[in-house]
Amino acid sequence: MESVGYYILGVIVTIIVAFTVGLTYMGLNRKITARVQNRKGPPFYQNFIDAYKLASKETAIHHGFMQHAGPAFLMVASIMSVLIIPVLNDGKWFPNLNFNGDLIFLLYIMVFGPLGMALGAGQTGNPNSAIGVTRGLSQMVGFEIPWVMALVALMMQYQTTSLVDLMTVQQTTGWLMFSSPFAFLAAVLAMLGMFRYSPFDIVGAPTELASGPASENGGKYLFTMMSSGSIFAFAKLTLYVDLFMGGADNLIELLVKTFTIYLIPMLYGMVSPRYRTEQAIRYFWGWPLFFGFLALVHAMVF
Amino acid sequence: METILTIFIIFIAGIAGTYFLGKLNGILRSVIFIATLLVTSWLFFTAVSPDVIIEFEVMGIMLSWGLTPLAYVFAIIVFGLSIIIGIYAVKAMEGQRSLNFFFANFLISVMAMFGILISNDLISFFIFWEIMSWSSYFMVVLNHKDVQRSGITYIIFCVIGAYAMMMAIMIIYSSTGSVMIGDFISNFHAFSPDMKWLLPILLLIGFASKAALMPMHVWAPGAYSNSPMSYTALFSGALSKMGVYGMVLVMIMIVQQIPDGYWIKEVIAWLGGITSAIGTLWAIKQDDAKRMLAYSSVAQLGYIIVGVAIGTPLAMLAGLFLAVMHGIFKSTLFMVVGAIERQTGTSNFTEVTGLIRKMPWTFLAALMSIIALAGIPPLGGFIGKWMLYESLMGSNHYLLIIVIFFSSTAAFLYCYKFLFGFFLGQEEKEWSHVKEAPALMVVPMVLMAIFSFVLGVFPGLILKPINEGMQFLGYVSTDNRFWEMSMIFNDWGNQVVMEPIVYTIFAIFLFFLIFLTLKGYKNTRYVTTKDISSSGEIPREDENFTFITGFMQPFFRAVAPVMKRQIDKYYNSFGKGLEALFDFTRRIYNGNGQTYALYFVIFVILLLMFRDSLF
Repeated sequence: MESVGYYILGVIVTIIVAFTVGLTYMGLNRKITARVQNRKGPPFYQNFIDAYKLASKETAIHHGFMQHAGPAFLMVASIMSVLIIPVLNDGKWFPNLNFNGDLIFLLYIMVFGPLGMALGAGQTGNPNSAIGVTRGLSQMVGFEIPWVMALVALMMQYQTTSLVDLMTVQQTTGWLMFSSPFAFLAAVLAMLGMFRYSPFDIVGAPTELASGPASENGGKYLFTMMSSGSIFAFAKLTLYVDLFMGGADNLIELLVKTFTIYLIPMLYGMVSPRYRTEQAIRYFWGWPLFFGFLALVHAMVF
Repeated sequence: METILTIFIIFIAGIAGTYFLGKLNGILRSVIFIATLLVTSWLFFTAVSPDVIIEFEVMGIMLSWGLTPLAYVFAIIVFGLSIIIGIYAVKAMEGQRSLNFFFANFLISVMAMFGILISNDLISFFIFWEIMSWSSYFMVVLNHKDVQRSGITYIIFCVIGAYAMMMAIMIIYSSTGSVMIGDFISNFHAFSPDMKWLLPILLLIGFASKAALMPMHVWAPGAYSNSPMSYTALFSGALSKMGVYGMVLVMIMIVQQIPDGYWIKEVIAWLGGITSAIGTLWAIKQDDAKRMLAYSSVAQLGYIIVGVAIGTPLAMLAGLFLAVMHGIFKSTLFMVVGAIERQTGTSNFTEVTGLIRKMPWTFLAALMSIIALAGIPPLGGFIGKWMLYESLMGSNHYLLIIVIFFSSTAAFLYCYKFLFGFFLGQEEKEWSHVKEAPALMVVPMVLMAIFSFVLGVFPGLILKPINEGMQFLGYVSTDNRFWEMSMIFNDWGNQVVMEPIVYTIFAIFLFFLIFLTLKGYKNTRYVTTKDISSSGEIPREDENFTFITGFMQPFFRAVAPVMKRQIDKYYNSFGKGLEALFDFTRRIYNGNGQTYALYFVIFVILLLMFRDSLF
C-alpha cells in the first residue's frame, strides 16, 4: 500500500508542477508578445490571478449535461498524457503512473480531450463553438500527418514504440534532434499547429469566432479549460524534450529545454497573421510533409 | 443428430413458421423469430464444437460440413449480432409493411451465413453464398425505393463476384476432381503457374465484392442505406465479414503458396489502405447518416483487409479483432440511426438537431460506439487500431501506416459530425415531441456499447478464439506473445496494459465528474440553447443557429483534388458504352417482321450475287 500512496503522491506533484509551469509559460508568452509589440504587458503571473478569479466565480446557467462533462473529458486527457510522458530521465522524482509511454497510445489519448470538449461545446448550441470544433478537427488532420511521420520514422529506426526506450537510446547516440534532423523538423512544424498559436489560432480565433468552443463557458469551466490547457502544454513540451533533446536530468534543465522549445511556436506566431482553415491544412501538407517523407527515407536507409 | 444439422432444421422450421404463421398473428411471428434466433444461438454457444465433420453425398458429389476454429470466430460475430439485432428489429420494424417477408428473410440471411461458415466444400459454400446474396438483395429493395440505382448496382456486383467465384470453382473441380476446400489447398502446388495467379485473383474478386474493397465498393452506400436499418446492422456488421472470412482463407492458405504471392498481398493491402482513406473522405461529406455510416463501413473494412493482407501474426490478430469490433460498433450505430429514424422520421443531419435531452440512452450508445470507432482508448476499437499500427511498423510498411493514420484521424471528423448532427446543436421546436426509443430497442444498443467497452478492457476474451482460429491457419500460438487477457504487445516487445490505464482514466474522470460536473450541474439552472450569446445577439425562438450545412467545407477545400475523381463515374461511362452497344443491337433486332423480311431479302440477294465465288 505504501508504494500506491507514493505513486499517487507522485501523480499529484506532477500535476501541480505541470499546472504551475504551464501557466507561467503562458504568462511569459503574454509578456513577451507585449514587449515585441512595444507594449508593457501584464506581469508574468497574471495568468495565476486570472485562474484564481475564474475559479472563484459561480456559474448560473447550463445548456445540458454534456456541457459539464466536456471540461472533465479535457482534464482526463491532459492528466493522462502528463502521466504517461516521463518527466525526468531517472523517473525517481516523478514516480507517476508511467506505463512505459507507448507512443501510439499517447497519440490517441491526446485527441481524447479535444473530442470530449467538442461534445461539450456542441451542446451549448452556439454556432461559434461548432465552427471552432470543425476547424480544430480539420487542422488536426493536417498536422497529425507530419507529426505521425516523424514519430513513425523514429519508432521504426530504433525498433521501439516506447518513449522510455527512445530516451535510453539518446544516452548513447546523443540527441535525436541531431541524429534524425528531418524527423525533428517535421515534428516541430507540426507542433506549430498543435499549440494553436497564431497563425494557427483558427479554433479560438479571437474577434472572429469569439473564442470558439469555449464561448458559452465561464467561471469554473473556463478555469478547468485553462488549467487543462497549461497541463497539456507542459505535457507536449516535455514530450518534445524527451523525444528529441534527450530528456532532462533535473527540473532546471527541463525548464530550460522546454522553454527553448516553447519559444518556437511563440515567436513564429508573433510575426504571422491568421491562416484560413484550408490554408492551415495545406501548410502542413507542404514542407512539413516533405520533411516527414525525408525522415521516413532516413529511417529506411539507416 | 449433429448439432449443426439441428441448428439448420431449427432455422428452416423458424423461417417457415415466421413466414406462414406470421400471416395469422404478428405477436406469434415475433415469438417464433426470436425463439429461432435464441435457440440456435444457444445451441451454437453451448453445443457446437469445432472438430465435428459431417459428410454426405448429393448427386455423386461429396459434401462436407463442419466448423473450423477460424469459422468459429466469424460464427461468434454472426450469432452474437443476429440475436441482439433480432430483438431490436422486432420493435424497430413495428408498423412497417411486408414484415413476414422481412423476418423470414432475416433468418435466411443468418442461416446462409452459418452455412457459409460450416461449408468445407466449394459447392455448398457457393450455394450458401448465393442464398446470402439474394436474401440481402431482397432487403435492399424491400422498401421499393431507389430500386433502379442501389438495387441493381448491388446485384450487379454480387453477380460479378459470384461469376468470378464460380469460374474458380469450375476450374478447381475440373482439374482436381474434388470440391473439398482442404483438397484444393493441399493440391494447389500442382496447378500451373498461370492458374496459381488466376485462381486466387478470381476468388479474391468474389470475396472483395462482398467486403466492399475498392474498386468493388460502389454498391455499398446505396445498399446499406436502402435496407431497413434493423437489417443494415446485420448487413454491415456480419454479412460483409463473410467477404473477410473468404479473404482470410485465400490470403493465408493459397497466396502463401504462390512463389511471388508477396505482390498480391501488397496490392491488396494497399487497396485496403486506399479504400479506408477514400471511404473516410466520402463519409465526411455525407449529410445523410445512413450513407455516412455506409461509407464508414467501407473505410473500416479497409483496415480489416489491410490487417488480413499483411498477414503477420500481429496483423492477422488486428484484422480479426477489428472485424469483431466493427461488427459490434457499426451495427450499434446503424441501430442508433434506425431508432432516430423511427422517432423522428428522418436520418438527415441537416433536419434533426439537439436530440440529446430527448434520447439520452440512444446518445450514450452512440457515444460509446463512436469512441470505439474512432479508436480512442479505453474502448475496444483502440486495441484493434493499436495492433494494426504496430503490425505495420513491425512489417516495414512505412507509407501504408501513414495512409492508415490519415484515414483514422480524418475519421474523427465524421465521428463528430454524427454526434453533433443528431444529438447536439440547438434544440428545435419541431423535435420537441420526440421521445426516447422503446426499451426493446434501447437495451440492445446499450448492451452492444457495453460489449465494446468490455472488449477494450479485456481484449483477451475475443483474442482467445481468434488465436485458435489462427492456429488452424498455421500460425504459432500468439497467446502471451502478443496478448494476454488485458495486455497487448507488439513485435518489439513493447506493451500496453489496459487494466490500470482504464482504472486511472476512470478515477480521474470520476473525480472531475463529482467535483466539477455534478456539482456544477446541480447548482446551475437549465436554459434553452436559444439563450446564448452570439455576437451580442440572442436568437429568436424561430431562428436556428445550428451549424450543420456544409459542415466540413474548409476541409474539403483542402482535399478537393482527391475528391474530384470518382470510380462511379468510370463505371457509369462503362455502363453507358454497353448501353450504346445494346442500343445498336436493338436497332438490328427491332422485332419488326418487315425488317426481318428485308434482312432475308438482302441475304438472298447477297447470296445470289456472290454465288460463283462462294460455291
